[in-house]
Amino acid sequence: MLIDRTHRPWAMASAAILALAVAAYIPYALGTRPGGGTIPGLAYGTVGFAFMAFVTLLALRKKFPIWRIGRTQTWMRGHLWLGALSLPLILLHAGFLFGHGLTAIMMWLFAVVYASGLFGAWLQHTMPRRLLREVPMETIYEQLAHVREQLLDEADNVVADACGKLEVTIAVPVAASPTGAEALATVMRPVGSDVDDTAPLREFYLKEMRPFVQAPNRPHPLGDPVTASGMFAKVRALVPASLEPAIVDLESICEEERQLRRQGRLHGLLHAWLIVHVPLSFALMVLAVAHIFMALRF
Amino acid sequence: MSDQVTLSIDGRDVTVPKGTTIFDAARLNGIPIPTLCHQQNQTPVGVCRVCVVDVGARVYAAACIRECEPGMKVKTDAPGVVQARNTLVEMLMADHPSPCARQQQSGDCELETMAKAGGVAEPRFARRLSPRGRDDSSLSIAVDHEACILCDRCIRGCDDVKKNMVIGRSGRGYTAHVGFDLDLPMGSSTCVSCGECMVSCPTGALTNKRVVDANLAGEKLDAEWILQLPVFKGVSGTFLELNQGAVVKRSIAPGEVICREGEFGSTAFYILEGTVEILINTPIAHVQQEDGAGSWFSRIRSKLSDRQQHTRTEESGRRYIPIDAPVDLPYDKPIAELAAGDLFGEMTCMSFHPRSATVRAKTDVVVLEMLRNVLDILQKNKTFRAELDRKYRQRALETHIKSVPVFSSMPADFIAYLRDRVELIRYSPGEVIVRQGDAADAFYLVRLGFVKVSERHPGGDVVLNYLGRGSYFGEMGLLGGGIRTATCTALDHVDVVRIAGGDFNLMLSRFPAIRAGLEQVARDRADMNRRRVASTEHVPITDFLNQGLMEAQSLLLLDLEKCTRCDQCVRACADAHDGVTRLVREGLRFDKYLVATSCRSCRDPLCMVGCPVGSIRRRNSMEIIIEDWCIGCGLCARNCPYGNLNLHPFTVQVPDPAQPARMIATTKKKATGCDLCMEHAEPSCVYACPHDAAHRVEPLTFFAGMLEAKDQKPTSGSTAGTSK
Repeated sequence: MLIDRTHRPWAMASAAILALAVAAYIPYALGTRPGGGTIPGLAYGTVGFAFMAFVTLLALRKKFPIWRIGRTQTWMRGHLWLGALSLPLILLHAGFLFGHGLTAIMMWLFAVVYASGLFGAWLQHTMPRRLLREVPMETIYEQLAHVREQLLDEADNVVADACGKLEVTIAVPVAASPTGAEALATVMRPVGSDVDDTAPLREFYLKEMRPFVQAPNRPHPLGDPVTASGMFAKVRALVPASLEPAIVDLESICEEERQLRRQGRLHGLLHAWLIVHVPLSFALMVLAVAHIFMALRF
Repeated sequence: MSDQVTLSIDGRDVTVPKGTTIFDAARLNGIPIPTLCHQQNQTPVGVCRVCVVDVGARVYAAACIRECEPGMKVKTDAPGVVQARNTLVEMLMADHPSPCARQQQSGDCELETMAKAGGVAEPRFARRLSPRGRDDSSLSIAVDHEACILCDRCIRGCDDVKKNMVIGRSGRGYTAHVGFDLDLPMGSSTCVSCGECMVSCPTGALTNKRVVDANLAGEKLDAEWILQLPVFKGVSGTFLELNQGAVVKRSIAPGEVICREGEFGSTAFYILEGTVEILINTPIAHVQQEDGAGSWFSRIRSKLSDRQQHTRTEESGRRYIPIDAPVDLPYDKPIAELAAGDLFGEMTCMSFHPRSATVRAKTDVVVLEMLRNVLDILQKNKTFRAELDRKYRQRALETHIKSVPVFSSMPADFIAYLRDRVELIRYSPGEVIVRQGDAADAFYLVRLGFVKVSERHPGGDVVLNYLGRGSYFGEMGLLGGGIRTATCTALDHVDVVRIAGGDFNLMLSRFPAIRAGLEQVARDRADMNRRRVASTEHVPITDFLNQGLMEAQSLLLLDLEKCTRCDQCVRACADAHDGVTRLVREGLRFDKYLVATSCRSCRDPLCMVGCPVGSIRRRNSMEIIIEDWCIGCGLCARNCPYGNLNLHPFTVQVPDPAQPARMIATTKKKATGCDLCMEHAEPSCVYACPHDAAHRVEPLTFFAGMLEAKDQKPTSGSTAGTSK
């Protein structure tokens, strides 16, 4: 979520709650040894846990998106700001002590959840703009593989139209493919009258470009736009000018593939932190409930 | 010298008056000769040559133009003649789309019937490579140049029979085709839609466009009865017969509402008897957000805000509210009366705009309710136009002129002077009214419809404004150097009041206050245009317009700076609609927004055209809904230019064909589209977005925001910036 000036009311309210909590804490800490068992400590703990519980309920809220129980963005804002408040309140509850055993585990877990949450908020604040800027050809993430297949078909057709039917089945396996420079060396040979003058383009496509589009997880020189530009320049020098439109098409397909890779990377980054944040949050809540039960019971 | 000629046709001696053609001589004696280009009520021209006969000469003669000669021996069915005729038909069929529209509609395409009778199967000749195209610009007649055989029957029908002189031949040789006026689209030409060309056409080149669901509620009328009405004088009876049900008579009791403001409709009303009240029922006040959607912060802020802050300065001088009727409503008391001979609902009928006012019968009222093809033919009818224009000059011109704030001080005597001097002109969609760079010779008041104002710039045109009823243009060219500074184009069916440059200058010289007001407006507009052009240099607004988003009433936009691509919107949509999402998070990008693939509730909902069972319709609250009797033909999905309607398979239980008593599961398809979750205050996709990224917006407001990023003012009304 973009944290912009529309968050000002939430930020101000959070700051006010925090200031109030700290203001109440100072005389309390000066008068007695702060701890979770005191009345003020229990009050801090109760409010802190209430915030944590609300924050955790966002996951449930998102499971039922059409329930008219408040706009999800309000829940999300609450998640961000009340979540941000929960750690200081729990610290005030604990008297800034991590304790031992279960409480220590909880505090460390809380720190990890909190840090991952902050990291996630930062990612959600910045990454959408990066995606917008760097991936103008963005598509639906789940459709990446399908779009890639279409690109491959399109590239096959472009090369087949320019160079004749492709023998794709006997293409050089990716593992055996030499690096870009070596590959080009193998196709760089004098163009004589007895040589098919479209061969360099075909060779380049089969040995370099096709594996690049086919294997998105494998690093490839064409993944870098500058290197790719140099490689295409070399191919251009080896083939007749009539193949220029085909080369331009292939370059644009490479650019699209680069954007698909970038989208995959950024999308992964944008959502991967949840793998840490969500399960640990639930674990924290389970431990918190256990902690409350034990504290009240014993 | 005898006035009779005797000759032999297929061995039979026949005697006919001198000057009779072989075709007529044969017909009079019961000998059929096939023909395509000839009709009894038209002058023969002999262009198709299908009526060739053997007269014993070196070449075959066209029977429709060759006069009988004494002793002539004519053979109409000799093997050579039949072969020549079939070859001609085969050649015509080579370029003919088979089956053509007429063959599909009524199975009586003369060419195809003739080909079938002559045993002409698949033509041996190659089809032409370059398409000749279609012309769908007329509301009444569909033109398919592909099916035209250039027989000229339509030309003779239009020119000789009806004396309208609209249709002629354009182009030469292989590019020859029938053209309207100076080769204009039929809808933009002076065609009066009399239908003569359509009934003359032997193929599907000119066919009647029937309006979907033409069965209006009301008393069905015979063409004969309709033609007795003075208002229909000169209208083609053929057309009315072909479009029975497209105009009905309705009797309305006093107090009964004929139509309500805000409703969508597709008809116009012509008052035959009685008086109606036309009024705006909605309280004139700005809506605040006290109980609406929005965050609780904004609701509290709304509660605390001062209502006066919503008073807009540009409304202070407004005294009339423009509506879709020949009168404007006074701002203080928005009610007026219409009487016999008045027409209302034109914009709703022609452009499917919502009804602008409520109309209630004041006395016993009889009205004609008509669909757009009938209204179109009436508007092209000279008698009807003249009557409407006369009434406008008498009753509405004064309020129309005074409804423009800058003219509100114009005295009645000058308006009376203008009354017979102004021209009332009608433009079809896309027609240019004034062109940038042309000499400025007139001032225009928009009477009906919307005008696009654009300025030519390197790299493309920049749209400056859209002007509706009550707006005006042309003053900048007249006040400045006498050259138009922008192009004004009719967006839909537009009526304007044209005040000639001389009268405009006389007005300025007589009324210095009006001159000062206009000069101020011109300066403001020039400033605003400069700002707008500067801002659009960074905003690809053309892309937005090219995508037809101006046509939309509601767009689902995703702010890509906020959207984390979590797909909550899609999930919510699916949850709200039985697991079938009506939106795809993909589409055109504009600036930082993604225009999601979801119904736009277009102003001109093309999806609604042609539904064979009438299951797609627009509700009064503007959203398009698909009723449960949809038969899954997919026509609406194909018609939607934006791919926002989809067919979804679902399982139903049907009787087993083998054992009718048993039910079996089968898959059917039905069309689905976004219904805006109208049962809720906010669509589910927007409500469920956790990141404040999804918004349903009204695009005109959205455009205003993008174009006037600095001042965020709305662009409606006559004070909005424009340039001419």
